[in-house]
Amino acid sequence: MFLDWGSITSFYGQLLHGAWLTLVITFSAFALAIAVGIVVAAGKMSAIAPLRWLASIYVEVLRNTPVLLQIFIVFYGLPSLGLRLSAVTAGILGLGLNVGAYLGEIFRAGVVAVPKGHREASAALAMSPMQTLVWVVAPVALRAIFPAFSNMFIATILGSSLLSVIAVPELTGRTNEISARTFLTIEVYSFSTVIYLALTLGSSLGLLLLGRWLFPRASRV
Amino acid sequence: MNFAPVWASRWLLLDSFLTTLFLSAIAIVVGTFVGTLVSVLRALNIGVLNVILRIYVEVFRGTPLLMQLFFVYFGLPMLGIEVDKFWAAFSAISLYTGAYVAEVLRAGVEAVPKGQVEAATALGLSFGQRLWYVVRPQALRVALPPLVGVYVAIIKDTSLATVIGYNELMRRAMELVLQYGRPLEVLLTVGCLYFIICFPISKFSEWIERRLARNGA
Repeated sequence: MFLDWGSITSFYGQLLHGAWLTLVITFSAFALAIAVGIVVAAGKMSAIAPLRWLASIYVEVLRNTPVLLQIFIVFYGLPSLGLRLSAVTAGILGLGLNVGAYLGEIFRAGVVAVPKGHREASAALAMSPMQTLVWVVAPVALRAIFPAFSNMFIATILGSSLLSVIAVPELTGRTNEISARTFLTIEVYSFSTVIYLALTLGSSLGLLLLGRWLFPRASRV
Repeated sequence: MNFAPVWASRWLLLDSFLTTLFLSAIAIVVGTFVGTLVSVLRALNIGVLNVILRIYVEVFRGTPLLMQLFFVYFGLPMLGIEVDKFWAAFSAISLYTGAYVAEVLRAGVEAVPKGQVEAATALGLSFGQRLWYVVRPQALRVALPPLVGVYVAIIKDTSLATVIGYNELMRRAMELVLQYGRPLEVLLTVGCLYFIICFPISKFSEWIERRLARNGA
């Protein structure tokens, strides 16, 4: 084995730049996913049947086909309908729409987990539906779904690597490019593996602490 | 929309669809074996071994499958180990599956109250007997729905083998897109193929979950 760990130091800058783009993509896609998730959850719990069907179809289609395919449809397929997006935008859109389907189900499960009595009590206290949602349902629901919510964030970090397939130079893309150019394959992939582990394990820990801070044990139900 | 080119390539697509199913099936079987082995070894509670297994699970769950595929396909030859596309895809996806299966089973094992294992030990049951007669039936109850969920994820994730050039469904789709320049039609068709296999399995997973919830865990 001739591993040359010294030579990859000159690529640290490029790889960290890739990691930064990975984070930007992750946060953008996740923000989009939260918005999509709220709409989907609202749709699934709507009193109007067609809205419920639409939301269900959305969730089932997006969850039962590969996310890579969804990204390809946005990037290669939409231009034939006249919508041409840059690779980064298409990737964020594809990933965000996908994660949104999962988040929609998670949000819905959270609302269902809130005991019926809480809503009845709010109604008895003459709270408006909006007040009930914000002050009664949301805090309890968010606490219940926080672990699943955190997992989806980690899944988004991992999913962002798929954008390398449509030539976005995020961490995986940069790694491939440097590996192909220098043949320092083992070295550069090992280094990027460590960065990914730092991102995912770091986010897990951060989200765990955030959860503890947002939902202190004393107030857990 | 013009589906004529897709229809003309129907046998090619079907052939690649079978390749995807084949790759999924063997990765799921081998991955389940690896994951089960890992969780049994973990139950033995040997310090060093536990650390190694933990690292295996964390590394494969904490990095993208794409990186793992590249590492195996481009990295191993650098160490003098030649792997062809099939073996690279098969081994990377199996190890990846193994890590997720191990994690799901761990959650199942942890759901079994500790007192039961202690009681079984007090009754003189061996390690194997405790695992088989006390832990397994209860752990599987908890683990089965998420386990089936992992299998659906693996079927979808085999699409990533396209990046190392393994000729599964996604790869064939992109070849047809290049050939005919009809991306939307080809990709929607391929999406339907993935859907008809994944959707029933997802529903099956939800069905087991509901059934187990109704019967009481």
